[in-house]
Amino acid sequence: MPQEDLKKYFDILELSPSATLRDVYNAYVRLKNLFSGDSIVLEALAEEFPEKRRKKVLRQVEDAYAKLQAALKNEPPKTSSMMTDEPPAEKPPSEKAVEFTSFSGPVLREIRERLGIRLDDLSKQLKLRVELLKNIEAEKFDALPEATYLKGQVKSLAGCLFLNPDRVAADYLKRFREKKQK
Amino acid sequence: MPEEKTTPIEAQEGEIWAFGGGKGGTGKTFITSCLGTCLAKRGRRVVLVDMDIGGANLHSFIGISRPQKSLTDFFESGVSLSDLAVRTEVENMALITGDIYSITSDTIKFTQKMKLFRQLVKLNAQNILVDLGAGSHLNTLDTFLIADRMIVVLVPEIIAIENMYHFVKNALFRKVKKSLKEYGFREIAQHIWDGRQSYGIKNLKEFMDYLKESFPYLGTILDEELAGFKITLILNMVRAEQDILLGASIKSVLMKYLGVPVRFSGFIAYDDAVWKSVRERKPFMLNYLSSSCGKAIEVLADNLIQGKEVEITGGF
Repeated sequence: MPQEDLKKYFDILELSPSATLRDVYNAYVRLKNLFSGDSIVLEALAEEFPEKRRKKVLRQVEDAYAKLQAALKNEPPKTSSMMTDEPPAEKPPSEKAVEFTSFSGPVLREIRERLGIRLDDLSKQLKLRVELLKNIEAEKFDALPEATYLKGQVKSLAGCLFLNPDRVAADYLKRFREKKQK
Repeated sequence: MPEEKTTPIEAQEGEIWAFGGGKGGTGKTFITSCLGTCLAKRGRRVVLVDMDIGGANLHSFIGISRPQKSLTDFFESGVSLSDLAVRTEVENMALITGDIYSITSDTIKFTQKMKLFRQLVKLNAQNILVDLGAGSHLNTLDTFLIADRMIVVLVPEIIAIENMYHFVKNALFRKVKKSLKEYGFREIAQHIWDGRQSYGIKNLKEFMDYLKESFPYLGTILDEELAGFKITLILNMVRAEQDILLGASIKSVLMKYLGVPVRFSGFIAYDDAVWKSVRERKPFMLNYLSSSCGKAIEVLADNLIQGKEVEITGGF
């Protein structure tokens, strides 16, 4: 994507072009929350700005995030391919891990790391202990709470990773129950 | 950045910081007095100008009685602005006061206003801090528009946000109108604005976009004229941590909806030390420097001087 276009998207997310993927994500979450909802700032200006306008801004924010995320992820990976004559793999290595069939703990971890989200930030946001999140990712099933509690926790975690909470919880809980029964 | 100039002080025009924001009671006067004290204590020459013409009370915040001479004398008797400045308890800081009874904003003529603005920058000071009254009166807007720093002070309340928004919008509208007039586009712009429904224009931003599209030459002019239109935001009387995030939200909304650049320069927590100090009629920054509010003002002053912003660490 040309640099100029990217600049536009950075502007929408109120970032400088030197921002990292993590900055992009932070700005996106903040703006998405702001323009999705019930902030008193929007309440104060509700008369001035109809729903349509708000939704338009929201779409711009979503779009900017998607474009920047794609652009920043595709930055040439620092590989040692110079040293080998082998043809490059069909897909860059970074995309391999998202080819998965179910949402296991390691997959969730991979996705989280890809988004540049730190465990302690996640812990604060979700009000869940870091230890618990680690155990979910490591699939230490014995250390995890009962299925009823775990389901809610996995769902909220999935929401933060922009995944379908029901799908993720169903996958994860299935593995959880299978392992527990053994 | 004007602060970084190394030219001799005598040759330098004062930098005007105007404090507005629409709603009364958000702490404009208090913050003006504190920042003035703060800058003066750092060795800058400061003049405070109380332009709250209907309800001037800045003197109370810095521990002096109402000055004998006021802006009334400037407007009615032609006394020069620099002769109105009185010394304050704070070294390096002088005050020019408005007046309660004798004049109202309505009777100030255009030529007088221009004369006032000319003399304002020539005051022998490095920082000229102008405390504007509440509301969006044209004189208030015009003073706001000539400032090097256009600062709005607000509190985390819905009405304050609403008023501030309208204040900024009115200021922007005024600026656009003045620019259009200057380049002979007043009539045509007025015509388009009046018929905005048929042009599919719903707000100021769309209006400007329409003008820019229809008259490319005008686009360049407007961009240039509006390049200096930057809002600095100060959030006062913050009581909860989430309120700080509100500063960032207001900034985002102003930028997205009005297309105006905004800098969120600081927040000040609600502090009981403030009303104590106001009751004592002493300069806050001389007596309550170590209070939470005093420290926040110091940070704010640094941010304003260096053009820095509050870092938002909320969310992720």
